Amino acid sequence: MKQKIFIISGLVLLIAVVVIMFADLFSSKQADQANPYDYKMGEIRKSDSTRSAYSEQMIISPPLAEMHALACGAGDRIFVAGKDTLLIYDQPGHSAGRFLFNGTASCMTLDKKGNIYIGMQDHVEIFDPSGKLIKKWKTFSDESLITGIAVSDSGVFLADFGKKIVYRCSPDGRLINRIGEKDPQKNIPGFIIPSPYFDLALGKKGELWVANTGRHSLEQFSNDGTLNSAWGEANMAVEGFCGCCNPSHFALLSDGSFVTSEKGIERVKIYSPRGKFECVVAPPTAFIEGTRGLDLAVDSKDRIIVLDPEKKQLRIFVKK
Amino acid sequence: MRKTNLVPALLAFTTLFPKTVFAIQRFPKPEFESAYTQPQTQIPLPRGEFMAYLDVAVLLIALSVVTWLVLKKRSRLWVFAMSIFSLGYFGFYREGCVCSIGAIQNVSLALFDSTFVLPLSVILFFILPLLFTLFFGRTFCAAVCPFGAIQDLFAFKPQALGSRLNTVLGIIPYLYLGLAVLFAATGTDFIICRYDPFVGIFRFTASFGMFLFTGILLLSGIFIARPYCRFLCPYGVLLNWTSRFSRSHLTITPKECIQCRLCENSCPYDAIDIPVTTKSPESSPVMVKKMMMMVLIVPVLVIAFGYAGSRMQDTLAGVDPRVKLAKEVLSGMRDAGSGMRDAGYKMQDAGYKMQDAGYKMRDAGYKMRDAGYKMRDESFEIKAFKASGKTESQVYSEASAVLKKFYIGGWLFGGFIGLAIALMIGGRMLPVYRADYVTNKGRCFSCARCVDYCPVKS
Ligand code: SF4
Ligand code: SF4
Repeated sequence: MKQKIFIISGLVLLIAVVVIMFADLFSSKQADQANPYDYKMGEIRKSDSTRSAYSEQMIISPPLAEMHALACGAGDRIFVAGKDTLLIYDQPGHSAGRFLFNGTASCMTLDKKGNIYIGMQDHVEIFDPSGKLIKKWKTFSDESLITGIAVSDSGVFLADFGKKIVYRCSPDGRLINRIGEKDPQKNIPGFIIPSPYFDLALGKKGELWVANTGRHSLEQFSNDGTLNSAWGEANMAVEGFCGCCNPSHFALLSDGSFVTSEKGIERVKIYSPRGKFECVVAPPTAFIEGTRGLDLAVDSKDRIIVLDPEKKQLRIFVKK
Repeated sequence: MRKTNLVPALLAFTTLFPKTVFAIQRFPKPEFESAYTQPQTQIPLPRGEFMAYLDVAVLLIALSVVTWLVLKKRSRLWVFAMSIFSLGYFGFYREGCVCSIGAIQNVSLALFDSTFVLPLSVILFFILPLLFTLFFGRTFCAAVCPFGAIQDLFAFKPQALGSRLNTVLGIIPYLYLGLAVLFAATGTDFIICRYDPFVGIFRFTASFGMFLFTGILLLSGIFIARPYCRFLCPYGVLLNWTSRFSRSHLTITPKECIQCRLCENSCPYDAIDIPVTTKSPESSPVMVKKMMMMVLIVPVLVIAFGYAGSRMQDTLAGVDPRVKLAKEVLSGMRDAGSGMRDAGYKMQDAGYKMQDAGYKMRDAGYKMRDAGYKMRDESFEIKAFKASGKTESQVYSEASAVLKKFYIGGWLFGGFIGLAIALMIGGRMLPVYRADYVTNKGRCFSCARCVDYCPVKS
């Protein structure tokens, strides 16, 4: 009996093998037509809700055809600018002002006095709080494209995508020094910025952080250009920065943590001051696929303001 | 465009038309601005000729050593040790390639396609085991073939299947061999390689499906020892027939069989023929009748199966990618034909519904959706065909040439199967007389297991 069971089992398995072989050979069924070279982003775009610690508190829809530049000023007022227009919103999201200028804003920041510094593609224009033009700087270079700006007592810091360099300037536009130039002797790798998203921001103590997107890292420099530290890793998973060059934008929270935004896999995340992944603010599913240019700002209450140029919204996220 | 305008334009463009830009960029985009220089693409050199001949030398040495171990030393232990070596070298190290079993296809293709160059090393891999078998029995299967070696490791509870089951299942390798030669000769596919159950294991690259396939086969091998060798291996058919003519085949006992019956159940492969001493007394008329039947049965089966094979022309040719493509193109045309007919109906409908623009819009929407479905459903083959610039008539004429080949091939394949079945039936009809326990020269793998059971040692 036992022997019979063994034989039958062996035969069944053997016949299964033969049937599989012949069925496969003669089946007219198409082989898997999935393109093996397709990037399958679907899985990566799915997010783990347990890692999301923020919720969307408010949406502002500025009546702007284009929105590129975002900043947060005194009284947690939100400044957003695009082509020829700057709009101001108060903390509850009501319109609080508007002024016009000539050109397309690519980045924006405010100083302590409330003056507004706008990176206008290849130069900088400074406006007083009422919107009066105070100063228009000279063009840095024909190739310049200012995509990041920050101001402190130490100067005005500009990230120039065209030249792949950071400038430290005086408020009147005089160049003090260049930061981040490749220097193997000083261990400075240089900026690798494949696409026109090159951001910088200042920490609480005025320390300069720059996104070296091609290296998927945030680098911290002294005012004199010394590279002090860097963190970041390339990774499709939520812990890292994806694609060729990310994060496209970032800002700092009051405790020194980083808020970062990415393109490719559109997502906004928080990293600890030491660069450890903490949580998701907005997962890829919160954005229209293909959105890029998610500029970020943080107000005094650590609300995170995300400029969504695709939905044409300012989206405000708060901790759950 | 001046340089000054280029950069702002770039920013405006990427922001205004983000979708367009996204669509044309591959993601993740390669880094192209660091000092890293892309190394030149290395095209691995083909394995040097010397190495190919080294493989042949190893094969020759292994065959010689195993033959000596089987016939002279008569040691199962050493034969087993050699099979482990072969599994390591030809299996895991050489990753199952070049393989004598697969060489059947190279040889077949070379015979029918003069443009196909057959390397000498492949010829030797094909011929050497057959030559050794012709003289010494299947010593190749004993411990040189890595496929046999790996299956041997799983034969934990081998069961005797009985001669009828062995005969019936024994048809499968003939089918496999016939199809393998047919598909190789017509340039359709190398199916022995396609369904090679072990190469994925040797290379650690088996897909889940293939792993499962191999797993099932090896599992069956627990109860049916060496299932691939006995009931699938197409090379085994050739070895089986050559071995029947071998002059110095392994014998269970080195001298006289003392009929102790100790070896009777020792063969896990049912390859020991037990003595048939009482010759069934068959009268001459019965014998004449049987012989007549044999003479009749062979041509009848060959023609009948040949005819059946030729009727299977379409099914067999359906495996060929050229015929598959033609079928797909044709079905696409048919779809387009019915599509045009439907479009005619739709236009007629549209006439009725002219006043209702809303309906038209909806229909247009459906059409676009259908067009989308069609584009999505198109197979790679069709896409490749469309990109190749070939005309449909070229595809059809290629396919019809292949179909013709399969008509003749179908006859030959069917005839071959018919002949194999006729010979099997004939073999069972013929009276046998055996005084001793002997190895069945065709089926015996010369593994030397039974030798250990025989008390007569020298
Ligand atoms: S029967 Fe085929 S697979 Fe088995 S050992 Fe012989 S050649 Fe190898
Ligand atoms: S030598 Fe032949 S008959 Fe003897 S056990 Fe091995 S396969 Fe069977």
